[in-house]
Amino acid sequence: MTISKEELDLAPAVREFGEDNNLDLSWLDTRGEWGVRAEPSKRGLTLGDIQLGSYGEPGDHSDNMTGRPRGARARNDAYRVGGYKIRSKADIWLSNAHVLYEESLQRQWSSATDVPWNTIKPLPDDIERAQCQLATFLTEVEFVAAEVPGRWLAATTPDYFEPRMFLISQVMDESRHLDVFRKRAFANGGGLMQRPNVTTSGTVGSIDLSNDFTEMSSRLHITGEGSVLTIFRMGELMAYNEAEKTIYRLAAQDEARHVAFGVMHLRYLAETEPERKEEIHCYLDEGEGALVAGNQNPASRDTAQSEALAILLGGGEKNFDEGYRKLMAVRKRQAREYVQRVRSAGFGERFENGRANQELLAYTR
Amino acid sequence: MSVIFPSLNWFEELRNRFNSNQRDNQVGVGTCDALVGVACGEKLFTVQFEAFECTNVMELEDESALENTDFYLELHPNDWKDMIINIKENNGAGLSFTLNTLDLELSDGLAKSWTEDQYRQDLFFRFNQTFQYFFDASADVETVFEEMDIA
Ligand SMILES: [Fe+2]
Ligand SMILES: [Fe+2]
Repeated sequence: MTISKEELDLAPAVREFGEDNNLDLSWLDTRGEWGVRAEPSKRGLTLGDIQLGSYGEPGDHSDNMTGRPRGARARNDAYRVGGYKIRSKADIWLSNAHVLYEESLQRQWSSATDVPWNTIKPLPDDIERAQCQLATFLTEVEFVAAEVPGRWLAATTPDYFEPRMFLISQVMDESRHLDVFRKRAFANGGGLMQRPNVTTSGTVGSIDLSNDFTEMSSRLHITGEGSVLTIFRMGELMAYNEAEKTIYRLAAQDEARHVAFGVMHLRYLAETEPERKEEIHCYLDEGEGALVAGNQNPASRDTAQSEALAILLGGGEKNFDEGYRKLMAVRKRQAREYVQRVRSAGFGERFENGRANQELLAYTR
Repeated sequence: MSVIFPSLNWFEELRNRFNSNQRDNQVGVGTCDALVGVACGEKLFTVQFEAFECTNVMELEDESALENTDFYLELHPNDWKDMIINIKENNGAGLSFTLNTLDLELSDGLAKSWTEDQYRQDLFFRFNQTFQYFFDASADVETVFEEMDIA
């Protein structure tokens, strides 16, 4: 809603005072759209509630290199403080980044006080070692998961601040994940185990080599975090106490948000720049290869992490086979969820035209 | 006063308790917007979450109405019973009876999608803590179980 010019001229006394005292009050007239009145909804006053008029949805391209807040009046002498590489909307946008951002703020939790640490009691040695191996792996994974989106923050124009702020919330989430798994490793007489030989090299390392945001997002949010979500869910399944149960359940909520960001971004890109779909399929080809190769996916096979998971799922070393069977059942779920997510993102044709990784598809059956 | 599970009455009881904020276990929650189906044998329900509340519960006539849900939770009536009894005994789901654990432990899973839209089914994970609190609120309900004709 906009207020008339007469209503706007609300400061005649101030102007008079300014003229009498030789003050420059020209700034009073330089502003963006005025008279905006955002109303809180039953969710509070959300970013969605302030997407109003010219402050609402940004254009398809942004020439804003000065850090000007979206909708504010430009100043011609402003320095070009931002070397923003992300200035095309389709490169980073999604229809609901503002929703996911608010969701993230509300669902934050504290690893110090929200986890009932006192419920952790001494565990059999093989179980404790397996927990610590998994915690070591996840501590490293979460470090990467914070670092990667972090690189794109300063590269994004302020006109696309909603996805940018979601990524900031993701960096916070990943920091908390790092700290909570580190705390778990030290909470019960264990410690960190050997760092995995596959985490920050190979496919996971290559996420960070992406020069394009969508390339990064398809690797990080869809293939990478899609499988981490499965690991967290498994972690909750095989928890030995309320503390572990809580850690994994809360971390899984966070992770599902990160995955949702990726799905919705891919969907936006598929709808607005279908000419890029072939390129995105190439990233998915690589991601699927990694999902079955096992070096980024501990739910795969023959890594320290997959053995740790099998021991935890089976309830100890002597039940390794039973644990491994459970692990494979979960892996089937993981593969199915991946397929349905990619479909939901608008890239389902790869599962009809023979392009998708056949080994991965075999897991879904 | 005891309430029969499964029944619309039971879900209304849960809704009232969930909305009353009397339970002080509110870690990791926030607004939740989702339409969740519940299937127990022949009986079908939907539970609507909007912002901070559970706004509506309904009994469905026909399973095709599950198409409108973001996802639905389906368990064998005996498994629902075990879960609800466990929640009562522990004042909240114990280690083996959380929604996520049941989903992974049971061969057919718990959370399902009528439309196979994973983005919508993923709401089960995104708001998992909220749904857990919703069912944990049944610890305060005197539940009796309908003798169902179980094959
Ligand atoms: Fe994480
Ligand atoms: Fe994540």
